[in-house]
Amino acid sequence: MSHRELLLYWSTAGLEIILCIFVYVRKLQRYLPIFTAYATLLATDTLGIQIVYHHFGFRSPESRSAYWMITGVNVVACGFAIAELCRHELRAYRGIWKLAWRGLALLAVIFLGNAVVDAWGQPNRIAIYGLTIERDFGVASTVILLVMLLIRKYYGLGLESLQKTIAIGMFVFCVVDTVSNTMLRDLFTSYIFVWSEHESQIGRARDLWNVIHTSAFVISVSIWCFALRKPLPAPERDPVLLPLEVYGELSSALNLRLRAFNDRLLELLRS
Amino acid sequence: MSELMIAIPLALALFLVLFWLLRPRRRHPGAGPSPADMKMESILPRHYRYFPQVRQALSALDEQYLRERASPKVARKALRERRAVARKFLAGLREDFSCLERMARMIAALSPVISREEETERLILGMRFRLLYAWVWLRLSTGRAPLDQIEHLTGLLGSLATRMERAMTAIGALSAPGLNTGLNA
Repeated sequence: MSHRELLLYWSTAGLEIILCIFVYVRKLQRYLPIFTAYATLLATDTLGIQIVYHHFGFRSPESRSAYWMITGVNVVACGFAIAELCRHELRAYRGIWKLAWRGLALLAVIFLGNAVVDAWGQPNRIAIYGLTIERDFGVASTVILLVMLLIRKYYGLGLESLQKTIAIGMFVFCVVDTVSNTMLRDLFTSYIFVWSEHESQIGRARDLWNVIHTSAFVISVSIWCFALRKPLPAPERDPVLLPLEVYGELSSALNLRLRAFNDRLLELLRS
Repeated sequence: MSELMIAIPLALALFLVLFWLLRPRRRHPGAGPSPADMKMESILPRHYRYFPQVRQALSALDEQYLRERASPKVARKALRERRAVARKFLAGLREDFSCLERMARMIAALSPVISREEETERLILGMRFRLLYAWVWLRLSTGRAPLDQIEHLTGLLGSLATRMERAMTAIGALSAPGLNTGLNA
């Protein structure tokens, strides 16, 4: 590993350990158990891969395979953490959650299906497979996070500060990672047939990708650490829901009225 | 590089969307209540209270009277002012529409079961209203919308407000604390 790679590696590992400490000190496992598991997994993976690097060498094929395997596990864990965040943010509003989870799940299936199809047609190189799947996972995560925030905004529901910060951290990482993965994947696929001739250029691009990827991750973990630096506020009480019949009685009446507004405006335009 | 050329602007656009989604709702004069301080009385349509005056200002008789009795210059000025009144009324209509829309969302948010069809319909109605509103506003501004037609809208809002006041009083009696807790969250 070069000095820069060492610096990036240890800053990531250090921040992940700090995040883990904060997560357990603040007892986050009570509210967001999957996110807690994800934070623990990140720290364990980063420290664990050091053993592989040490044993096989940083640029060995074994290390690369181990890196992509760990990346796969982390990506799946991140997906579960996002699903947990969506559930945590919407489940108190039972009607909305019942309606939203199906839509969010459908979105996830569509994007993951796209990731599989996209990766299927790629040239037979683990890096290209990995980058394609990671990029598409990033796109899926970004879209799902935005849809969850959109639903909350549409229904005028506030967002707790911690959950908001976790969502921002995930969003930053997913978006920046998607862009950097797209860049490297583009480069890999363009040079696939002349790989050996452009080894040094590919190496430089990989180094750049590594810096962008790790920096985005460091920023995200820093955002989470910043949010967890203070004790967590007491969780907000779940809202008291209205009786079932209120929605049935009023919703269609309100829609009827809103429709009447539109009809009158339309009449006005036609007159 | 083509995918990267799409990915970078898209990423920037997504950051803007995130900023917009996380930005707390800002109140400006003339806007409806924000969800954070939504109370029963502030949700109900309010502009209908001024409708008798609006009706008077927009009445066809008034217009006829002006054309017959006033000088062309004064009549033109009066017509401009009447159009300004009509535009203000339209803005009030939009505000009242938004209030009702927000009330419907609030009821949906606090209901244990909601209907996909009705929620989708409301979403479409909201988008349609905004388009129609923009179109009518444009026509009013360019003098291509008859003012007497606007007058019909006042009746619609008046009857609506009375009904909604009754309904909201009933909901308030049922679970006002629930509504406030939910929307102040």
